[in-house]
Amino acid sequence: MGSNDYLGVLRVLQEGGVAFVLVGGLAAAMNGAPIDTLDVDVVPARDEENLEKLLGVLSSMDAIYRIQPTRRLRPEASHLRSAGHQNLTTKFGPLDVLGTIGRGLTYEDLLPHTIEMDIGDGIRVRVLDLQTIIAIKEELATEKDLAALPLLRRTLREKS
Amino acid sequence: MEEELEDLTDYSEDGVDLTLVRWFLSITPAERLQYVQRRANEVIAVWRLNGIE
Repeated sequence: MGSNDYLGVLRVLQEGGVAFVLVGGLAAAMNGAPIDTLDVDVVPARDEENLEKLLGVLSSMDAIYRIQPTRRLRPEASHLRSAGHQNLTTKFGPLDVLGTIGRGLTYEDLLPHTIEMDIGDGIRVRVLDLQTIIAIKEELATEKDLAALPLLRRTLREKS
Repeated sequence: MEEELEDLTDYSEDGVDLTLVRWFLSITPAERLQYVQRRANEVIAVWRLNGIE
């Protein structure tokens, strides 16, 4: 595993014109929750035009599936069209491309619940807001989600 | 007799360190990204030192 370059991943996605929402641990951190994360999670729009851009960007990042990395399996359009999760590794570090999150929430569902943030170097990305991150975790209620909730709720309370 | 020390911590009743939350909220999203990225790379560096990939 090489070094992680989160800004690099997000810059390439943005410069490639890919429509996406930043979700997961990095989104929570961008909202002010002091948590560590080892990957970037994004939910892209899954229209054909956007998927074509996304495929091009993933190729430029040398994206392959993290499972069985020696096989160097590359994501294809059929994978990205699905609601499933593509757990990839790239030259910038791990990147999860998620068709949906929570109970089937798509890019279009999430977009009204995002905040555009300046994350450095003039890069602006749509980040899922903390209220929605909390709501999704409350709904899923896996042990991992429940463990994260006290910190996320306290962060939200301190923000307001 | 042991002198009573002023409590200079601030934890919520569910155990969250509120001083850490306030500090992280006081910096910009760009600074948060840099911090989280640096922390991740520190963890990866320790893994490497210990032969974990």
